[in-house]
Amino acid sequence: MTNESAIDMSSLAEITGDAPTTPFALLDEESKREIRRALLQAVAIPGYQVPFGSREMPVARGWGSGGLQISLAIVGNDDTVKVIDQGDDEGVNAVNLRRLIASSTGINETTEVNEATIVQSRHRIPEDPMGADQILVLQVPVPEPLRGVERDMKELARMHAEADYSKMWVSLYEDKVRNGVITQTTGYPCLVAGRYVTATTPIPRWDIPRLHQADFLTLFGAGREKRVYAIPPHTDVEPLTFDDVEFEVESADGATCKLCGSSDSFLVESPGTTPSWTCSDTAWCRRRRQA
Amino acid sequence: MNTVPTQEAGMNTLPTQEAGMNTVPTIHVADPVIQVRNLGKVYGSFTRDSILQTGPEFGTARDPRTGSIIAAWNVNFDVAAGEALGIVGESGSGKSTVLRCIAGDQPATTGDVRLACHDNGEFNILHLDPATRRRLRIDKLSVVYQDAAEGLALGVTAGGNIADPLTAAGWRHFGRIRERAADLLRRTEVPLDRMDDIVRTFSGGMRQRVQIARALANNPPILLLDEPTTGLDASVAAGVLDLIRRLLEELDLAVVVVSHDFAVIEMLTQRCIVMQHGRVVEDALTDQLLEDPQHPYSQKLVAAARA
Amino acid sequence: MGYAAARGGLTAIKRAEELVARLRDNHSSAQLELDQITGRLRLLVDRIMGEAGLWAPEFAALAVRQAEGDAIEAIHLLRAYKSTLPRFAVARVNDADEMVPERRVVPAFREPGGPQILGRSTDYTARMLDPKARDAMPRRAVSTAHDDDESASKRTADTIARPAGWPEMRRMSDVLRDMGLLVDRRRGDDPEPFDITRMPAKPPAPRSARLSTMARAETGALVNQWYRNILGPDGYLHEVTLGEVRHGSLSLSVTHPITGGEVTIGNFRVTEVEAIEDLDGIDEDRGSFDVGYGMCLGHNERKAIAMANLDIACHRDGSKSPLEQSILMTTDGLDSAGFLEHLKLPHYVTFRSMIERKVAVRRAHDERKRD
Repeated sequence: MTNESAIDMSSLAEITGDAPTTPFALLDEESKREIRRALLQAVAIPGYQVPFGSREMPVARGWGSGGLQISLAIVGNDDTVKVIDQGDDEGVNAVNLRRLIASSTGINETTEVNEATIVQSRHRIPEDPMGADQILVLQVPVPEPLRGVERDMKELARMHAEADYSKMWVSLYEDKVRNGVITQTTGYPCLVAGRYVTATTPIPRWDIPRLHQADFLTLFGAGREKRVYAIPPHTDVEPLTFDDVEFEVESADGATCKLCGSSDSFLVESPGTTPSWTCSDTAWCRRRRQA
Repeated sequence: MNTVPTQEAGMNTLPTQEAGMNTVPTIHVADPVIQVRNLGKVYGSFTRDSILQTGPEFGTARDPRTGSIIAAWNVNFDVAAGEALGIVGESGSGKSTVLRCIAGDQPATTGDVRLACHDNGEFNILHLDPATRRRLRIDKLSVVYQDAAEGLALGVTAGGNIADPLTAAGWRHFGRIRERAADLLRRTEVPLDRMDDIVRTFSGGMRQRVQIARALANNPPILLLDEPTTGLDASVAAGVLDLIRRLLEELDLAVVVVSHDFAVIEMLTQRCIVMQHGRVVEDALTDQLLEDPQHPYSQKLVAAARA
Repeated sequence: MGYAAARGGLTAIKRAEELVARLRDNHSSAQLELDQITGRLRLLVDRIMGEAGLWAPEFAALAVRQAEGDAIEAIHLLRAYKSTLPRFAVARVNDADEMVPERRVVPAFREPGGPQILGRSTDYTARMLDPKARDAMPRRAVSTAHDDDESASKRTADTIARPAGWPEMRRMSDVLRDMGLLVDRRRGDDPEPFDITRMPAKPPAPRSARLSTMARAETGALVNQWYRNILGPDGYLHEVTLGEVRHGSLSLSVTHPITGGEVTIGNFRVTEVEAIEDLDGIDEDRGSFDVGYGMCLGHNERKAIAMANLDIACHRDGSKSPLEQSILMTTDGLDSAGFLEHLKLPHYVTFRSMIERKVAVRRAHDERKRD
């Protein structure tokens, strides 16, 4: 061992002890407090993207590091966490994030929405209703809803500050003119509390109506882009569309879940010679079968 | 030598009309919609000497010591409703700079610009915050540029370019936006079957017509035209000019037309100012200017145009 | 083994982890010791510490070994480790003139004040692969003179200092300032530097935010930013003249929480670069030069040179072009690599929504044709 590293080791060992132990919920307390402060600001200004000092997490940027930081910053000993990816508790990334939260805190895990106090999700809102005592944490890859129409960050900041969203409206107009429908798929841009146009992660349009005047708090975390934002309970969330052009959620004519028979949940397709459909929300589907 | 005066400081310490400079008498009109006083724009750092040693008498707008450009200085004029004022001069004379400073495309270095449609002209719009200035562009003041790429999004359809100011003004009904856009395109003689084509596929003349349609979308009281027909084929330019002339007759607009072309000035304006090396050298009724130009530079320009 | 729709996702993940660990740790070759990594892969370790923003050679070596040599993965391990540590103190301001140099190159003058030190560099070494070294790196004869140089920068907890009699090395920006040829951008208000780990920087950002972003940036990304600005479709850079390229050691000190005195807590190596720029813009003082600055942890000249070039380019640009946004937003190795690799995650909900819209567009198209 070189002199150089020996010195570093000894000083680090003094700080961390021989076997460094990780703190409760991974992050040190100061970091968690900083994130909570950003979240309070986000709740106070619905839909506004609050910059925060995003930490490097044990999962990579783009893999839910923002949602994870929020969950870890708000979690306490009494919490119970549910984590889904694409609606599935058993998706690899859901499993990975859930074990990180659980193993670093010792709190309970669940797959049932009604048992959870924190639901962390990527790309879905659970089909089951959530209540006032629950928090939905959504992982956000791209927090900026206007990036498709503007790339320059100074200009984007200006557009939000002045509520100048005409470029977005023009893009919706052009879409409708060219395609006959508005083709925006997931992450549909919404006006939150009548003020900020906000990116709704990439949840499907199917889930958007459940954000409007919801009983629960939704926290959005974009770790890579270092932004958090929020939709507080009982807040207006209006998908941007024209007065005479209806907002359309996903539909599949005549499709039903091959497992539970549902036709009123978000279904995903399994292609093949005989395509079939299943509920994306696996916990919901399982309970329907058991009922 | 490296000091750049702030707007306020510049007003007080730099030579203006009051400082006894050679200035051209300004024609004042009753109830001006646009009132421009002592407008100045300098690129680079400058001093009092930069102002005193540039302009027509020195044959340059460039300060030889600092390399700065006195693009416009001590520009004054009024425009009333239903009236069109021309700004004429060769390229580099500062005429487009004046228009851009009024439009808010560029910050003016100094001056006072009031619009009757904004708080009854009680405030100098040059001192407004950028957001408020931009909002003037939605329904108070429109600009048609020589280069359509400045006034239009070329990758957007003709209809979409008109939808932009409409949605900015709060329009949210797709059908009504379509109707309004179609109506404006009809008035500017753009074939309606091209309404859903992107503007990049349009000819130069057609692009200018779309720009005009867009500029008029929210019925602004003020229209600024910057070389609106320059670069177009003569026959196309004549058609666009004819359109503009008819629209100006129909609408009660206050208009500023910047052009190097006396044919444009003659056809559209009642009064005009002549600029050379960043300064106004003559302010006259258009008819008078064309018949009896006073300043040697105006005489040269008119002679060239008549040749 | 089903991965995607992943029933039994946890089992799959655990088996993947086991497989990685087993094949790595059970390899038939001798175990790679940490001092081998710090001692023999010095530049890799330096690069990783620089991009991680953490001076900890032993931990960096640990990360290299755990990550099987994947630099981005090793940087991730280091930074994620840092996230678990509390912040005890803020370092006191360090004067880069106190550096004990191991290397110094001054391209701008033939005879700068003080020596040029070629030092530990392969700049002028023929790049010939050495087949004779295949079985063993030969032991080399010891040069006492060089050992002395090295001892000057031995990492001890004592304050390092240049040995007595060390010639003065005036930096080129100071020389130009004395000649009256340098734009003076020093400021007297001493603002707190922007801490990019506390608050994300976005354009327009203070210079300290740009510099600390670049100090942690991925080396390749920074080199590419520089080169695309030279040869790419949208360039905003001149070629500059380098005033200084230095590599050496600095000591780090903090204020003692109780006594209030200055305490040296360790030493670290940095690379420092000054890039001298010829000014020719209309708003610039053409009678002067300006200087761009680069400094990063460890020995990484490529990175520090790119940084100094981009620093002055950004300043001259005045955040008019997209350059500043490119530097601030696109050069972090973990951000870009993480987002790139996230494309491997399941996306079947979003993809289902896309298919649904494709069908809707076709239906609308057919309806319009019927009308």
